[in-house]
Formats: sequence, structure tokens, C-alpha cells
Amino acid sequence: MPLDYKRFNGPEDSISYKRFTEDYIKSYDQLYQELIDENGVRKDGRAVDEARKMFAINDVVTQAKGSAYIELKQTKVVCSVFDPREIPHQNEFSQLGQIYCEVKFAPFSCPRKRRPHAPEAEERALSVALRKALEPTVCRHLFPNFQIDVFVYILEHDGACLAVAINAAGLALASAAVPIYDIITACTIAVIDGKMIMDPTEAEEHLAIMSPETQTNHGLITMSTLSQLRQITDFRQIGSLDVDCVTKAMDLLQKQCMKIVPNIQRVLVSNVIKYHKERKKLEEEAREREEALNKKMEEWKLLLNAG
Amino acid sequence: MADLLLSSTEKIFIVHGVQDDYRSDGRSNIDYRPMELETEVVSHASGSARLRLANTDVLVGVKTEIDTPKPDQPGLGKIEFFVDCSANATPEFEGRGGEQLANSISNMMQRAYQSSQAFELKQLCILEGKQCWKLYIDILILESGGNLYDAVSLAVKAALFNTRIPFVKAVLMDGGNVDLQLSDDPYDCKHLDVGCAPLLITLCKIGDKCVVDPSAEEESCSVISVVVGVTGNTKSYCSGKEIDSVKSLERKCSTIGMNGSGSLAPQTLQSAIMQGMVAAESLDEALGQALLRERQENVILKKHAYGFLK
Amino acid sequence: MPGPDLLSSQGLRLDGRRPNELRRIRCKMGVFTQPDGSAYLEQGNTKVLAAVYGPHQAAKSKSSTEGVVVNCQYSMATFSTGERKNRPRGDRKSQEMSLHLRQALTAAIKTELYPRSQIDVYVEVLQADGGAYCVCVNAATLALIDAGIPLRAYACACSASMAWHGGQPEPLVDVGHVEEAAGGVVLTVASLPSTENIALLEMSHRLHMDYFDVVLSRAMQGCRDIEVILDKAVREHLAEGWTKEDVVTI
Repeated sequence: MPLDYKRFNGPEDSISYKRFTEDYIKSYDQLYQELIDENGVRKDGRAVDEARKMFAINDVVTQAKGSAYIELKQTKVVCSVFDPREIPHQNEFSQLGQIYCEVKFAPFSCPRKRRPHAPEAEERALSVALRKALEPTVCRHLFPNFQIDVFVYILEHDGACLAVAINAAGLALASAAVPIYDIITACTIAVIDGKMIMDPTEAEEHLAIMSPETQTNHGLITMSTLSQLRQITDFRQIGSLDVDCVTKAMDLLQKQCMKIVPNIQRVLVSNVIKYHKERKKLEEEAREREEALNKKMEEWKLLLNAG
Repeated sequence: MADLLLSSTEKIFIVHGVQDDYRSDGRSNIDYRPMELETEVVSHASGSARLRLANTDVLVGVKTEIDTPKPDQPGLGKIEFFVDCSANATPEFEGRGGEQLANSISNMMQRAYQSSQAFELKQLCILEGKQCWKLYIDILILESGGNLYDAVSLAVKAALFNTRIPFVKAVLMDGGNVDLQLSDDPYDCKHLDVGCAPLLITLCKIGDKCVVDPSAEEESCSVISVVVGVTGNTKSYCSGKEIDSVKSLERKCSTIGMNGSGSLAPQTLQSAIMQGMVAAESLDEALGQALLRERQENVILKKHAYGFLK
Repeated sequence: MPGPDLLSSQGLRLDGRRPNELRRIRCKMGVFTQPDGSAYLEQGNTKVLAAVYGPHQAAKSKSSTEGVVVNCQYSMATFSTGERKNRPRGDRKSQEMSLHLRQALTAAIKTELYPRSQIDVYVEVLQADGGAYCVCVNAATLALIDAGIPLRAYACACSASMAWHGGQPEPLVDVGHVEEAAGGVVLTVASLPSTENIALLEMSHRLHMDYFDVVLSRAMQGCRDIEVILDKAVREHLAEGWTKEDVVTI
């Protein structure tokens, strides 16, 4: 990891002046009113159960075996997957292949603070979570003693970054032709004051984690599923929710995850069609060239015979 | 965990036992192993506890420091978890070998204590925006015989219950400086309110069923386990007159996570969470009773800690 | 010599001990079930846990045909000191301690019996109140005995310092944290008392050659005293096992 030598980093305990500005020290109620109006419409005009529109493409990084880019409005994530390689520095043979995940935030990705170059706790936790989600997805028994590297770079963070990272990794794995059991999709739900808010932005996530004065439910859940197999590969919750709330959120998340699958499939299919067409075109061109060559040969043969 | 070798037949034996609700050590699927708990074992720490759950041995020390609060949370204190997997538990932990496990445990604890309904950080405030207490919760894993998450969370709650924080008077001086006045009397201190601190319950899926408190052998038979953090009930941690003034709160999930390389069906996850809530309730009550009894004994009998000599 | 005032006018030390008095030693062998040997030892307020794994096949890089490799790790709990430690191990001091520990224990173990093998000794300081190294050596010896590893003799370690009382030099045995912090000389000896061999000798601060012998002999006397205590503990521990279970089964 390159260290940032050229810049004068502030002292370790220095704090951005922005955190003393009004935007950052708003009270819970102020934030709440700002984000959700009384009709249940959110700041960006979505209904509470409405997810953001997703943009996804694959094969964006040419060096990688497979890659994907997914964007949910302001949350932008690139993921690249590299070919399986032998596990480095390992003495023992491992029956199952391993998945190595690394999640990194771009230094400019977060609205609240600048990210340092050195890996920090949150990135490590996200990497572990990503690995946990991907392990049941990949047919690991097909790669004994090999590891697959998955790198995720979060260009911009505006909420639900783990879910987006999992979606991107699933797409990238599929486009890298790594055998997987099913397409993995993930999504996040925030619970603020008992309200279920699908696909929260960063501000909403922040509010969901902030503790209200009252004993209402608040929290954040990220769930990743294999939709065809009806399996949950990862489930992580933070905050304080009662069981009914968790169950309700689980149903909503499952439905939302199902909704994402066709989108991912469409991207993959269109990619296959695109390659198929390209290949056809190339074959066509090759045939044309060969025909032209054959014609030339005939002409030369005639000339030779004549001459 | 050291040199755990199980043959496939032994594993099948364990799996079949779980199916019939009769585990290899005679417990049913919802039973815990016997526990030993002692508080006040480390004299350099403000609060400490040692928990032994069959083979699992955890020592927790709480240290307090004075710090400045975060600018966007001026009225809150800070809490930090640090887990150290001692090589005493298994030679694999030598050097930096235990770091990954340690990180995942401390992350889980940090998440579980995040909500104010799980742990009220306001009680650590000294002077709003200027000074607060920072609790360092250092967890030392001395022996690991399975079910580390539960053991750690129990020991942490006990250590926090045992933690004493000195009364400090903070006065704002000229120029924004703060003058702190500490009482000379070392007994002039307050206990923390930790009644609703969460407990982590691990539910290990073996075969088609989930068991609580898996032993190391059982953990090796399973590919997936669910960890549920459940907030406690303040009422179980109050004695005498206080009981009536405290209202009983509903138990809530403060964190849920999954461990291991497998996956779960949604119904299984739901039933595991339910099972976790039930287990947490009885565990929390039992812990509360034990801690209250211990506190009373410490006051009346002036009991000295046995520590590791017992 | 104008050293720090370590003795009162009555000839008592800062913590009330006499100059030739050890701190109270309490110990227990076999505290854990998973390691091959384990022991807990406290000397005053310094408390140490030791665990022994082995002998087992040595890692390739460490293997030696001459004898067993003793692999030590010294770590201190983050809450063991008055001020919180950031790292339990890996810093310079713990690495040095690990090396010293290895030196003392290698001298005591009959290494030639297990070529190409390795013994892991892990010590964990739960509470540090001076003389942590000495306590670690003593605890590790007990853990080695608990693991049934053949030793030449007990390895015991003890520290000694030096003070003046009535114009006479007066060596102090088993130095505590307060005396260490006061800045007097600290001589640490790890020895095999029954063979009168010294395995490790280390000294900090300045001491006149004339008094070296006095201080050293006081530290050696301390080692001998500790050996007696350890020996008694081992015998008691073994006797306990016999009376309770084994006699009946035989």
C-alpha cells in the first residue's frame, strides 16, 4: 500500500473544521425532519420502500479477468476479479479454494472525512463481510489450493456500500466465468423510528445508527441472498430492533434482492450477446479475407499455368 | 482448539446426536455448559472479570481514561474493545496468528454496544463538549474451547458491572480550559448502569438444527453459525428498592451477524434469532443474579478474589 | 554512595519487607486443560500465566538436529500495567524478554533428548508489579514440569538491588515495582540453584565492583529460596493427584 508522503497530514487527532459546522451537529429531530417529510417522501423524492435506480456494466477493467461497475445514484463501486492463482505462503493443502477480498475507499469517497491510504478498521470489516457473502456463492471445491482475488474500490460512498459491493462482486465473478452456484444480490434497509427505509443514502444510514431519545426501533440491516436457491449468505444488523421488525425487514429485503436479479442477468446476457455478435462479425471478416485470398491464389495459379 | 482432530465418524456421531436433541456431553440443544465467573480479579483495572465456560477461559479488564468527546457527539463518552488471543490458547495464535479472530470478535462487540438502547454513552460524559470518559475494554482469551462470542460478551458485561468510575468535578476555566477535580477518597466513585448491555448468543447450525453454546468439537462439525446480540433487562441487575423504580424494557436485537462459510435458509435464520432471544433472556437473568450476589458478598464478607489459584 | 533511599531507618523496605525477604509466592499448576502443561504463579502483585505445548515436530525453519528448540513468547496483557499498553506483544521489550526466557529455559531443559523437535512456552503477564521476568521464568518452570518435560534442575530467577543501611551496604532481594522505579541497581539472575549454575545474568544501572559479589549472592540466595517453594508446590500438586483419584483406581 503506497503511503502518502507528499502531503502534510494533520496530526492524528486533528478534526476537519467541517465537523463543527451546523450541518454536522444537527440534532436527531432536525435531521429526521430534513430527510423524511410528513407524507413519507424522502429528501430525494423516493417513497420509503423505493430503491434507487441501478446502473451496472461489466468488463470495465481490461487487466482483470472479470470486472463490474455499479452505481446507485451517488454510490459508485468498481470491482475486479482476477484469475485463480495458487495460495501464496501456505504450507498446508486446502481442499477448498479461497476467496481473498479487499475493499478500499477512495480518499475522496466519503462526505464526512477524508480516507487515509492505510487500511483501517472499517475497510477490513467490509472485506471480511464481503468474503463471508461470497464464500457460499462460489463453487470453491473446483479450485483446491487456489485463491480468487476480488478487489472492490468504492469511488463514492452514499449509503449501502456493502450491498453495492456484493452486487458488483457477484457480477464481476459471473463475467470472469468463475463457477458460481447462483447470482448473488444484496441490499440494505434502514430502520428509523420504526419506519423501514429501503436502500438508504449515507445521511439516512447515519440517522439510523444515531440513537434516538426514545426507545423506538432503529438500525441498519444488510442482507445478501442467492435468490434461486433461497439461501441467505450474509446477514448483518446493527442498532436496536425487536424481532418482529427484523422479520419484517427480512421479507422486504428478500423481495428487493429478487428484484435486482433480473437486472444483473440482463447485463450478463447483453454482454454475452455483444460478444457473440462481435465474434460473428470477426468470423465473417475472417471468411471474407480467406475468400479473397483464395481468389487471389486462383488468379496466380492461372497466371502461373499460363506463364 | 489446540490440535483438534475429529474423524468423520466422530463428526457423524455428533451430528446425529444433535438431531435427537442429545449432545455428546449429555446436554440438550438449548443447554449451556457450566460457567464460573469471578469479578475484581485484576487490581490494575477499574473493573475486571474472569469467565470460564467449560474449557473456554476469558479475562476482561476495563481501564478508564479521560478524553475529549467527538465534535458531533459532544454529550457522549467513548468505548473501545480490544481482543487479544493469547498464544496460551493455541500455538496458532503465536505472533499475529490470532489477529483475524480477535478483530472479528471486537467488531462484533463494538457493533453490539453501538446503540444507546444497548449501552448509554451519556453516563460517561464529564463536561459536555470538553471532557468525557473513554472505556478501554481489553479482552484476553486464555483458552478456547468453543463459543468464544458468548463467553466474551458475558465477561464484558460482568466487568462493566464491576467497573467503578471516580467522581470528577469539571469546572470550565478562563480560555476554555477545563479544571478537573478528583476526589481523594478512592471509594468515592459510581458504578455504571449496564443493565441493558447486550449479550451475544451463538447459534451453531449442525445438520438441520441449531444449538446454543457449541463446544470446539461441535463447531468443527458446522459450516455456519448465527451470532445474535440481545439487549439485557435492567431489572435483573438492580437490587432492593431500585427494582421498583426501573421499568422493564423489551429485549431487542442489537446486532446480528453470521460466521462461517455456509449459507442459511430464511426460515432457519428466523428461528435461530428467536432461539437466541429465548436463550439470552435466561442467560441475562442468571448473570444478573450471580453479579448481584457477588457484589453483596464483596461488601459483606470482604471476600478476596481467588483468581487462578482456585 | 548516595543512592535512592530504599531502606527506612528501621531497616525496612518501601513495601514493608525486610531486605532478605521475598514477596509472597502463590502458585497453581495445571490451570488449563488444553495445553500440555500450564501454571499460574503470583509473586506479590505480579501475576503470570504460562502454558507449554510440546515437544512436537519442529517447524522446518527452526529444526535442529542437536536438540530441541525452545520457542518462547512473552506477552503482557493490555491492562497489566498502571497505564494501558497499546500492544500486548511484538515491541522491543517483549522480544528481548522472549529471548532471555528462551536462554534460561534452554539451560534447564534436557535438550539433547528431543532432536528435531520443538517446545512452545507462552507466558502471559496478567499484572505487572516489578520483576516480571523472574516471575515468568518461575512460572515457565512449573509449566514445563506440569508438561512432564525432563529438566536438569529447577530454573529459578530472582532479582536483587542494593541499599545502604547505617553506612553498611545492604542488598535487597526480589525487587518490586516501586524499588525499580526509584532507580536503584537491579541485578536479575536466572539460575539452576541445585547445580549452582547461572543461566542468565543481567544488570541495569551502576554498581561498584566491590559490592557485586554481595548483591549476586543475595540474588542467588533468593533463587535457592524460590526453588524450595516451587519444589514444595510441585510435590503438593502431585500428591493431590495421587490421593484423590489415582490411588483408588489402582
